Amino acid sequence: MADSTSKLDFQLYCITGANYHPGRSVVDVVEQALIGGADIIQLRDKTSSKQDIRENAHKLRQLTKRYGVPFIINDHIDIALEVDADGVHLGQDDLSLAEARQLLGPDRIIGISTHSIEQGLAAQAGGADYIGVGPVYPTGTKPGRAAVTTSYVQEAAAQIRIPFVAIGGITLGNVDTVIAAGAKRICAVSEIVGADDPAAVCRAFKAKLKAAANDSEAQQPDFAGTGVIVNGVAQRTTARTVWELICQHSLEERRIVVELDGEIVVREEWSRTPIREGAAVELVHFVGGG
Amino acid sequence: MDNQALRTMHPIEIFEAVQDEAAFGDRYSRQLRFGPIGSDGQKRLRAARVLIVGTGALGASLAQHMTRAGAGVVRLADRDYVEPSNLQRQMLFDEDDARNAAPKAVAAARKLKRMNGGVRIEAHVVDVSKRTLGPLLDGIDLVLDGTDNAATRLALSDACFRLGIPLIYGGVTASEGMSAALIPGRTACLRCLIGDSAADDGADTCDTVGVISPAVEFVAALQAAEALKWLSGNRDAMRGTWVTADIWSFRVKEMKLPGGSPRCSCCGSDTSKAGDQRRHDDRPAVEAAVLCGRDSVQVTLGEPLALDMLRPLLEAQGCSLTVNPYLTKAELPDGKRLVLFSDGRVLVQGTSDAGEAIQLCMTMLQPYKG
Repeated sequence: MADSTSKLDFQLYCITGANYHPGRSVVDVVEQALIGGADIIQLRDKTSSKQDIRENAHKLRQLTKRYGVPFIINDHIDIALEVDADGVHLGQDDLSLAEARQLLGPDRIIGISTHSIEQGLAAQAGGADYIGVGPVYPTGTKPGRAAVTTSYVQEAAAQIRIPFVAIGGITLGNVDTVIAAGAKRICAVSEIVGADDPAAVCRAFKAKLKAAANDSEAQQPDFAGTGVIVNGVAQRTTARTVWELICQHSLEERRIVVELDGEIVVREEWSRTPIREGAAVELVHFVGGG
Repeated sequence: MDNQALRTMHPIEIFEAVQDEAAFGDRYSRQLRFGPIGSDGQKRLRAARVLIVGTGALGASLAQHMTRAGAGVVRLADRDYVEPSNLQRQMLFDEDDARNAAPKAVAAARKLKRMNGGVRIEAHVVDVSKRTLGPLLDGIDLVLDGTDNAATRLALSDACFRLGIPLIYGGVTASEGMSAALIPGRTACLRCLIGDSAADDGADTCDTVGVISPAVEFVAALQAAEALKWLSGNRDAMRGTWVTADIWSFRVKEMKLPGGSPRCSCCGSDTSKAGDQRRHDDRPAVEAAVLCGRDSVQVTLGEPLALDMLRPLLEAQGCSLTVNPYLTKAELPDGKRLVLFSDGRVLVQGTSDAGEAIQLCMTMLQPYKG
């Protein structure tokens, strides 16, 4: 968790949607997306038989390996393990993060869809490797779910420290707005796999994402960090919340008690409690003998 | 609180209170002269029922404080027996207790009885868990924590906050200690402060980095003081802080305890979730818990063991036995040891492998079980 980005380095997330490309195979369409520069692929199929999903999973595993791109399977942990996928993507109503982690082991990627900053922070605290943030716009793949608009994207950009990917109704026509709200990673389904030329659409998405990344690098002055005192030692930290500070000290797996400016902070508040200039923090290991 | 009310499967030894006013009328005179307690506080103490969970280093010291101070009932619960390595810091035990592998709760109770016959002392030889806590907490006014692991403490905190019983936490390793009075309605529960059992138990235990007895006594004193305040009616005098201390480098620090966490099912105001026990599920019948740093595994068989029937079987398999009314210790030819308790627990010493421990229990006890 301290270095959660190492598992994941992507900008353009492509999810399958066979209903958007009748007459063409999933493998052909995904290969086009890969040629165009999609740098993570998810197999999402809510309608086919398990046997068909398994077959496509095997094929996409081979394909993504050739392109050196992570391969994620929606929901089906058993298939993910069987085909040696890089990870799974879960919804809010699926298996819990802890259960999924137990089944998948420490190294595989677990992503989770979130629809509010509370869900996003909970997923981050629970050990997700990335989160989906959306649906930003109304979408045909999630009919009936209210769009969260770019306001959740802004909140995520400010508060989420694991990779987050904006998703839901994103097109080449509106992606600039999503990027302006703070998204560095975006996901599209119908805009890519429903296109006549998925590779061209991916190239266009990537160009916009890259330009935005270069801009923000050029504009942002070096963040000198916040001056804090941790266990009596003055230091500067880039951590914005108590939870981030704990991660920077590699204590996220330890049983500790946290005091901020004289009062203990309950665990549930760690990811919501900001670190302000001059804050005095004590990170104390729980003593368990008796 | 009558004996019938204690519907339990584990061994219990009870010493009823016997007042000897003629000889010991002066017993509490110095405590009565202490203003905040006085005769009113002493009466309240007399009526108080205290559960002490764990009767090791902290627990033994706490039990002594409560017994000498004149609590009405001191109930002790401990799963362990006395070993030579306990004697350096566990104040109630002696060499005979270690030689006889006496259960800690019983050995402690016998000593306590000689200190103050006016207190009802109950010794429960039991593995304290969510499963066994119900009857132990029956009628209890305050719980003192003398346990040595986070999992039991969390189970205690959950149960205490559900029932509205204050829990006085204490912990100690090496020369360091911590203590806090966790009070339903006033403070957050332990689960909200240190998290649930997904996190590690802290790398350092008394078995890996040792512990010195002054650190134990320092923490026990902090706990006992808070208990005396609460039970004698001085509830506004409760400290309200989590104390951390190192008695070697000498450093003491207090951190203010937060109130209940609104969304917590134990200490929060959201009572709709009270009683939600999904995350603390009952455990399966046979289970094994590796006791960190002790080269031991505790196997819980889920049914009582008839120790007298088992002994010939164990001897036939080449074991040498140490027997007392509460447990049977069997030394295997290869040096491993099984300590069998009648409530169905087996401590397997000489391995840290849970699978191997279960396997060994099944093999050694199979003819009996079959």
